[in-house]
Amino acid sequence: MDMSAGVIAGQAADAGMPPLKAQASELEFFYGEVQALKRVSMPVAANRVTALIGPSGCGKSTFLRCFNRMHDLYDGSRYSGQIVFQPDGVNILDRAVDPIEVRMRIGMVFQKPNPFPKSIFENVAYGLRVRGERSRRVMAEKVEVALRDASLWEEVSDRLDDMAFNLSGGQQQRLCIARALATEPELMLFDEPTSALDPIATANIEELIHRLKDKVTILIVTHNMQQAARVSDYTAFMYLGELVEFGDTNLIFTNPKSKRTEDYITGRYG
Amino acid sequence: MPYDAQAVRRLVARGKQWDKVFVIAGLLCLMVGVLTLALLLAGLIHDGAGRLNWEFFSNFPSRRAERAGILSAMVGSSLVMLVTALAAIPLGIAAGVYLEEYARRNWVTEIIEINVTNLAGVPSIIYGLLALSLFVYGMGFGQSILSAGLTLALLILPVIIVSTREAIRAIPGSIREGAYALGATRWQTVRDHVVPYSTGGILTGVIIGLARAIGETAPIITIGALTFIAFLPPAPLGAEFPFLSFEWLRSPFTVMPIQMFNWLSRPQAAFQENAAAAGVVLVVMTLLMNAAAIWLRARYRKRIKW
Amino acid sequence: MTLGKDDIGHHISQQYNQELENLRSHVLHMGGVVERQIADAISALEDGDTQLAASVVGGDLQVNALELNLDEECSRILARRQPAAGDLRLIFAVIKTVTDLERIGDQAERVARTVLELANVEPGRSRPPMRHMGDLARRLLNKALDAFARMDVAAALEVEREDMAVDQEYEAILRQLMTYMMEDPRTITWALNLVWAARAMERIGDHSKNIAEYVIYLVQGKDVRHVSIEERERRVQGDMPGQPPTA
Repeated sequence: MDMSAGVIAGQAADAGMPPLKAQASELEFFYGEVQALKRVSMPVAANRVTALIGPSGCGKSTFLRCFNRMHDLYDGSRYSGQIVFQPDGVNILDRAVDPIEVRMRIGMVFQKPNPFPKSIFENVAYGLRVRGERSRRVMAEKVEVALRDASLWEEVSDRLDDMAFNLSGGQQQRLCIARALATEPELMLFDEPTSALDPIATANIEELIHRLKDKVTILIVTHNMQQAARVSDYTAFMYLGELVEFGDTNLIFTNPKSKRTEDYITGRYG
Repeated sequence: MPYDAQAVRRLVARGKQWDKVFVIAGLLCLMVGVLTLALLLAGLIHDGAGRLNWEFFSNFPSRRAERAGILSAMVGSSLVMLVTALAAIPLGIAAGVYLEEYARRNWVTEIIEINVTNLAGVPSIIYGLLALSLFVYGMGFGQSILSAGLTLALLILPVIIVSTREAIRAIPGSIREGAYALGATRWQTVRDHVVPYSTGGILTGVIIGLARAIGETAPIITIGALTFIAFLPPAPLGAEFPFLSFEWLRSPFTVMPIQMFNWLSRPQAAFQENAAAAGVVLVVMTLLMNAAAIWLRARYRKRIKW
Repeated sequence: MTLGKDDIGHHISQQYNQELENLRSHVLHMGGVVERQIADAISALEDGDTQLAASVVGGDLQVNALELNLDEECSRILARRQPAAGDLRLIFAVIKTVTDLERIGDQAERVARTVLELANVEPGRSRPPMRHMGDLARRLLNKALDAFARMDVAAALEVEREDMAVDQEYEAILRQLMTYMMEDPRTITWALNLVWAARAMERIGDHSKNIAEYVIYLVQGKDVRHVSIEERERRVQGDMPGQPPTA
């Protein structure tokens, strides 16, 4: 019983979803001639975690990167459709909207930790510098808050001037999370944040994501289904550039509506 | 199949023999290069060591071989290197950054890239001809340190551009994406990340370029460096206002390779000794610069591990 | 979505497919054993066959052992496979079904015990016909297991309806036996034993109904326990093929 994504999303909205932070409508994306996303419509609930799952090449990372206009960095990419961002109701894919402004409000954490070759402090403070912050005192305060939110403060408070590269993989990733949090974004995008980490570091970050919900809306791409099940409130299953099913995580993992979703979740399909 | 230990052992032993063959062959090839350099150096030192004393460094050239020194040549070389560096470094880095970060990938950029790489292969005397018409006569800088510096700057510009580009390319895209994702503009990314992280590679390229320039003779001769300079260019810092003077840029000059060439062409054996001594100094200067490049690269590699 | 019989396998892991297949066949095997227990107990009751009754009592050990094995099998699959969606519902349904099957086994044993008791008691009046009710109960179980095997919601719904017939027969027998007991107190021991036997069969019907409810949950993901028959059918009908979808 496959329903079109738009209808599913519509149903979700009617079925009493909390207020939305963003809504993608009929979003399409092209790398040159290749169409990577086909008419994707999906709500993003405010202060909730929404997970994107699907097999490799299904377009989940491509979809995620539309939210902060990362594709604009590379020639040959083209958007069609909308992503409306609340509370101002602006379509952030509009050419008239400056991608830099979008990235000021939406933060991103990448798959492989990518701290700058600078000190821990400078890493977290960079976002603030970019926004013109000059006061060392203000930066120090915000850096501490960000590091605490990222569950890293305890471990690094005594060596903020150490090089970031000296941290372990899990710590580096938390540093990258702190770096993104320091600028107080409204929406955080996580692109497979724990796929390069060991189980304990993964668990730490999942716990962290859970606590961050109160401050930020979170959209997370993961190829680990159990992680999606543990961490998210809503789950979207994508396949070959289409949104196949979207719904409450509990429902998706006990009784999904679409056979394709069922097959993927139960391991009947890679 | 039961495990045949003998056969496996024989196979491994044969492989190991080839290992030995290659190790020996490699060492021999390496020795050819190293020994040649060592012999050259030894020859130079043997011939010229006797002349290496304080006077040699502090005397001007003279018709009397025992009183001839390389002071003007060394000062000339240093000043020319200074001009070269000041001209080539900002130009080269800026060009490299532009080509890597800002230029769009179209046929115009392709042509520019091809030409930059080709420039590195142009014979240096051609640069001399260009400099003659452009700097010496066209812009009227005359046969001066300024002209020489600019000529050599053009010569080593491709080296700096290429090493800047290589250093920038070594920066993983994930770092750039990290900066952009935080809301940085392209300029902020270049200023705060791209250039600082490629400094190691850039510096290495700069030093290698300068080490090459210090030994260039043909273009300098072409633009008319004189061979018998018994004076120093005017000092840049003066006692009276304005304290900074640029007169030295327009001064005639000589450089180390030319001084060597001049001594070599004299029949007296004593002058040959002088030439050898100057050669030792030149080689040592070059080796020191290359060593500095290696040390810098190692130091930056420790801080930045991609 | 509705799970079909052919949807259970087809995992990429062949081993997992085999594990689930084994699980299902073990459940059906336990169901078969329990069915035979019921049949034997009813025959023993009808014929007063104490030997048969004794073997039923002994056979309950096998049922208990099967329950332990199946629970362990389920626990293993949960730990190692982290089943989701339809697979998760299958494990859930199996665990619950196994519990009910074991209880049914206990009820069959109880019937057998009453046969052994009755052997020492003077028979009272002509015994009320219990064979029919016993057969009804046994066939209910059979139908429920069949619905499980074929993942057939329609069959499961029938089981729930037909359980009412078992309940009605139980009421009738109870009334009759109570009349006997009131008329002649000397028949109380005899009658009470028959009441317990009848009650056991009524319980068997209830347990079979439970199993049918698990089948509906397995196939459609809808929990229809503790609701009226009308409500149950309404919820289920919505997702039957050929019907328009409901919320």
